[in-house]
Amino acid sequence: MAVDTGNNTLIGKPQSRIDGPVKVSGQARYTSDYSFSGMLYAVPVGATIARGKLLSLDTKAAEAMPGVRAVFHGGNIGKLYRASFLMADLVLLDEKRPPLADNDINYFGQYIAVAVAETFEQATAAADAVEARYAAERPVMNFDLLRGTELKQSDHRGDAVKALAGSPVKVDEVYSTPVQTHNAIELHATVAVWEGGNCTLYDTVQGVGNHQLVMTQRLGIEREQMRVITRYLGSGFGGKISAWGHCCLAAAAARNLDRPVKLVLSRRQAFESAGHRPATQQRVQLGASAEVKLVSLQHDYVNTTAMVEDFTEYCAEASPFLYSTANMSSSSALARRTIGAATSMRGPGAVPGSFALESAMDELAYQLRVDPVALRHRNEPALDESMGIPFSSRHLTEALNAGAERFGWSQRTPEVGSMKRDGLTLGWGVAVAAWGAGRFASSATVDLRADGTARVSCGTQDIGTGTYTVLAQLVGERLGIAMDRVEVAIGDSNLPAGPLSGGSLVTSSLVPAISRALDEASQRLVTAASLLPDSRWSKARPEDLEVVKGRLGLKANPSGPALSFSEVLQQTGVRSLTGTGLSDGTILEKPKLSKHCFSAQFAEVTWQPEIARLRVSRVVTVIDSGRIINPKAGRNQIVGAVVMGVGMALFEGTEYDPRKGVALNSNLADYVMTTHADTPDIDVIFLDCPDFEVNELGAKGIGEIGMAGVAGAIANAAYHATGIRVRELPIRIEALLKRNQTGRELKKEPWQTHPTTKTKPQPHRANDSPDAPS
Amino acid sequence: MDPRTTLLDCLRETIHLTGTKKGCDHGQCGACTVHINGRRVNSCLTFAAMHQADEITTIEGLGEPGRLHPMQAAFVEHDGYQCGYYTSGQIMSAVALLKEPCGPSDMDVKEYLGGNICRCGAYPNIVAAVQAVRRHSLL
Ligand code: FES
Repeated sequence: MAVDTGNNTLIGKPQSRIDGPVKVSGQARYTSDYSFSGMLYAVPVGATIARGKLLSLDTKAAEAMPGVRAVFHGGNIGKLYRASFLMADLVLLDEKRPPLADNDINYFGQYIAVAVAETFEQATAAADAVEARYAAERPVMNFDLLRGTELKQSDHRGDAVKALAGSPVKVDEVYSTPVQTHNAIELHATVAVWEGGNCTLYDTVQGVGNHQLVMTQRLGIEREQMRVITRYLGSGFGGKISAWGHCCLAAAAARNLDRPVKLVLSRRQAFESAGHRPATQQRVQLGASAEVKLVSLQHDYVNTTAMVEDFTEYCAEASPFLYSTANMSSSSALARRTIGAATSMRGPGAVPGSFALESAMDELAYQLRVDPVALRHRNEPALDESMGIPFSSRHLTEALNAGAERFGWSQRTPEVGSMKRDGLTLGWGVAVAAWGAGRFASSATVDLRADGTARVSCGTQDIGTGTYTVLAQLVGERLGIAMDRVEVAIGDSNLPAGPLSGGSLVTSSLVPAISRALDEASQRLVTAASLLPDSRWSKARPEDLEVVKGRLGLKANPSGPALSFSEVLQQTGVRSLTGTGLSDGTILEKPKLSKHCFSAQFAEVTWQPEIARLRVSRVVTVIDSGRIINPKAGRNQIVGAVVMGVGMALFEGTEYDPRKGVALNSNLADYVMTTHADTPDIDVIFLDCPDFEVNELGAKGIGEIGMAGVAGAIANAAYHATGIRVRELPIRIEALLKRNQTGRELKKEPWQTHPTTKTKPQPHRANDSPDAPS
Repeated sequence: MDPRTTLLDCLRETIHLTGTKKGCDHGQCGACTVHINGRRVNSCLTFAAMHQADEITTIEGLGEPGRLHPMQAAFVEHDGYQCGYYTSGQIMSAVALLKEPCGPSDMDVKEYLGGNICRCGAYPNIVAAVQAVRRHSLL
């Protein structure tokens, strides 16, 4: 396909979603909306200790209850296999231990049984009636993760330790983020239907293909025996990538009883056994020259992981290339805790990592007495210094400038508490972030039909990001037909293998696949010309013909006569012709260019010291992520990412009882998330600079980058307003009250007693005092 | 009818009106909002057996593709959703709000829709949709 000239009618224009009418009328079918005759309901039973052994299970009472068809446990559910995990397969699975595999209990809520009954109420009652005896051990629950943990170096250049020692200005601080839970409003659900050895899973998943692969391995069947369907997904944010234990329980129960089984997790179960963003503790050390140049950057972190699963939250992913510095290092480690398996959550690594690094940059700006935007400009790299290769596209400087202008940043006075409006103290903060760009290997098929419609099919799924609509735009644009003439078939593992909805890679992966499918279909249309009755077409040499906007014409005479694809098909008696397109993945390739998207976030908070009330009032977010295919859905997605970032900054954190290991706030009232009333004014700017190294339309992803940086910008704004540097998210009223009561921060920082501290932090930093001149 | 069956589960699993969604089962998310005798209620917090003679309206009763209720159409126009799962609840609350003593400002609407969580964060578009319908119905 020729590089798009920008002469578009659908792409890049705000489009209402094609699936809108079914969504607003309750007709879109999500997983738990499926029902089948003879269907049973399954309710899992979770362990009520966080660590130890399951000694015995008494299911008799439960089995005797009305409507109960079975209670399955490790002894009677049948074989559930460990899925193989080869990076080359790109299988994503974060809890590899199959459910009910042994009697070891590794976290509170780990499945020990599943009750199956005729109705949901009967299954719930039966699950409650299952009695278990345990030998409990003390859970491992502390979140002072850096203490005593040995870190392993992952990146380095120069000598960061020596350079830091010689720096006139230093920052050395520890930042913490809690366990966060995805809490997509759609509960995790599986409806399993077996027919003659073949299994269909209606499931809440972000990758029908990935799920098909994992579940065939789990159940020990062949790939063609497994079909996964996710027509609509009530969002996932990473939490619905892995095939969690309950999927296996539902599939196994349905197989054993030879009846369809529906299993919907409760909200509490989702907190316990369907993933979360792990807690992190990150130490950031920055050294700068008096000329405001970074001379050393160290980013070392530990994240929690389950007792028997490994998950790394790559907090320092952007640190090697975000800023220019000759000396850089990062290291990391995992801290095993008795909580369920961690998994990817929106912007994994980048989101907590940006909070730490960008908080430290703000602290550095105060020490240097330089504007935080200027500090970032001064340290903008010319190339990716970690790999010594150019960026395919990086417009962070423009992003900062555009955001500063829209926000009114030039009006900012840097002194803490110096800005007021309507009797409130204002705080303004900034942060930046990066997220990788690339593609998953993908395929797609496009059918051109004689009735003038087209069908595009791809084994991807729409998790709320607008994939249905993007596909209709891509196909409609090339064929010159309206979007309602394009039928979009996705959400089924039987369709050509498509991208997983993760890592913000769907659109960038689909663009080349769709484009090649349309190339092939166009080529076939040219071939079909020889069958046309009109000799002008049938006698023409194929190389003299071309298809533009779905119309067959002569290359030599672009404004001359042309036939629409439906006319060609009608006149040749063909109902439809098909093109298939493949696009290669970039995940495993060695890059020649550093491909990323970037964001600059500007936040305003209001502060009422009398009642210690901190609110986020305004966010300007600038996104440098290539070409935006549908600005209407894209803007919405970025707004949503900011909303989640506000939650991360001020509200969210899963709390565990340290003695029992149970999540205490495992419900939507106590795990506080941003509501309508908490939402600030949000202004989204898309730089809209295409990156043609990623695909021919220059489109990259936006789901993750929109959230990265938001919490950092808010924390920096909070410091500007209050003079309190909160290094532990969420920013709680307690942290702000401490200063109110005593006039100074009480908290002893973890590094002050940390055994692996390499350099002594400065004993006194003038800028930590609210009334210090800045 | 099992006396333990909530109105929500009855609608979804017995009557197969699945437009009403379950997000928490605890009255905390608003996804299950329906109208009972014209008032909005979290259907997960009430038993089906308690509503023998009541008039219950679900999202399916508001409109369907091709003849959408103005609020449904406004949600499409303003992109007042992303995943769409919580959308029935947001719309049922928004339609009920039209008859409630809600003040005119965006902030008033935000307070009145405070019980409907949208994890995708489409809040500003939802408020815009609701305000568009309210403005229109004032004309
Ligand atoms: S399901 Fe009823 S309020 Fe959440």
